[in-house]
Amino acid sequence: MFEVSELSYCYPQSKVCAVDGIDFKINEGEIFGFLGPSGAGKSTTQKLLIKMIRDYQGEILYHGKPLHDYGNQFYEDIGVSFEMPISFSKLTAMENLEFFQRLYRKTVDVEPLLKRVGLWEHRHKKAGQYSKGMKIRLNFVRALLNDPKMLFLDEPTNGIDPVNSMILKDMIREFRSDGGTVFLTSHIMSDVDQLCDRVAFIINGKLRECDSPRNLKLKYGKRVVTVEYKEKGELLTKEFPMDDIKKDSFHQFLKTKDIETLHSGETTLEDIFIKVTGVALHG
Amino acid sequence: MARLAVLVKGEVSRLSKYGLFQATLVVTMFWLGAAWFMEEEMLERFVPLIFLLEATMMTILLVGATMFYEKKESTVNSILVSPVTMQEYIAAKVIMNIINSMISVVIISVAIYLMKGITFNYLLLVPAMIMVTIIHTLIGIKIAYMSLNFSSLLANYMVYVFVFLVPPVLAVFNVIRGVVTDFFILLPPEASNIILGAAFREAETWRLLAAWGYMLVLGVLVYRFMVKPGFDNFVMREAGV
Repeated sequence: MFEVSELSYCYPQSKVCAVDGIDFKINEGEIFGFLGPSGAGKSTTQKLLIKMIRDYQGEILYHGKPLHDYGNQFYEDIGVSFEMPISFSKLTAMENLEFFQRLYRKTVDVEPLLKRVGLWEHRHKKAGQYSKGMKIRLNFVRALLNDPKMLFLDEPTNGIDPVNSMILKDMIREFRSDGGTVFLTSHIMSDVDQLCDRVAFIINGKLRECDSPRNLKLKYGKRVVTVEYKEKGELLTKEFPMDDIKKDSFHQFLKTKDIETLHSGETTLEDIFIKVTGVALHG
Repeated sequence: MARLAVLVKGEVSRLSKYGLFQATLVVTMFWLGAAWFMEEEMLERFVPLIFLLEATMMTILLVGATMFYEKKESTVNSILVSPVTMQEYIAAKVIMNIINSMISVVIISVAIYLMKGITFNYLLLVPAMIMVTIIHTLIGIKIAYMSLNFSSLLANYMVYVFVFLVPPVLAVFNVIRGVVTDFFILLPPEASNIILGAAFREAETWRLLAAWGYMLVLGVLVYRFMVKPGFDNFVMREAGV
């Protein structure tokens, strides 16, 4: 759907490029995660893809055609959910949605969406009276208004309680199941792990890895089984190579010891990120 | 066209919801209050000034305030990632201000007639108000582009007032005299004053035609060289660049 090659962008008066010669591809029908700490270039990349920043170097192809060649009709295809609230504070949620809805050719019924994110009962409240979490959920509904083929989500669950975060994640998965494509930027690893088909790690404007979470875990994880067991009242740990788990010695160990826990050496995306980039994600 | 209508409707609705329409109404009422105490002769000189201030200064402030709110609430970002084009975005602001100016024309004209029985040449007044409003909306948009926040918006507005409005006013009071005043027609508020003034008093034809011609050319130039090229930078800045 999107093919990005040698993409670079330097902010005016900045010596360092926010995005520095990156290449990646977003396939139709996938959730593509873009991971990195604050200031790594995630949001800048998103702004480049949604044509908010236009004077970049390199190439962005959308459906095989340079993004520059698309007029504003490009926005009929996409939905964008910004990290910050973007509603007219003196208008009700419904008035906000109705205003934006009329700007598109094709739109959806907002009632089921608002019900799903728990805002239907508050639809006649002014957006300025909403909590931060409610405003972000309203942003999400705004992004879906025009029945987009592709969603750009910037930190979609940031500032949202766990229950509503789960609802949004379910809706993102359903969007993908219905054929939609998602570009998701986040620094919340668990979201990315749960949602994304592929992830890219960005740090200092450069891409360091780009693969599925499973492949990355296999690549960077240890092929071991760690067993925690009790002996003479003490909690002990022993590691077995994955290739040894069919051997009698391993089975004998399990039979004879008082086993507390058993873990494969699968690593987390966060650990992989730190390993690959040398930088922690929080921030 | 349908999208432009939606944008204009949205602009007008927000003008009221954000209290900006009410604010302009209060200013109009203030002018009318002052007019109430004036003698007919003085009022005939004062009324064109009300229209001039409504179409120039109030227009700049209004467009600046609406763009300030759009920036503050980041709603401009949401508009910019919709199919709305730059031309539609700017045209909506212009039309919204024309509507506001026309409301002022109706209120002031009716009030002045009811108070003092004074009428003007409405066929000259309406097109002149539209022209002046268009130019000053574009100037207001340019000032909003240049302003990072509301304070800098007001500062830039004051600069505009001092540079472009004060000299012709000083000329009226003979503080500035001589051949230099002939060139004041090049200042947008003075050219606006000439075309608006024709609705209230006899005007030299060449001066009126020159002012109209100048305003038309100025409108095209401001749009072509200031508003249009500045839009991309404005978008970039709203994107956090």
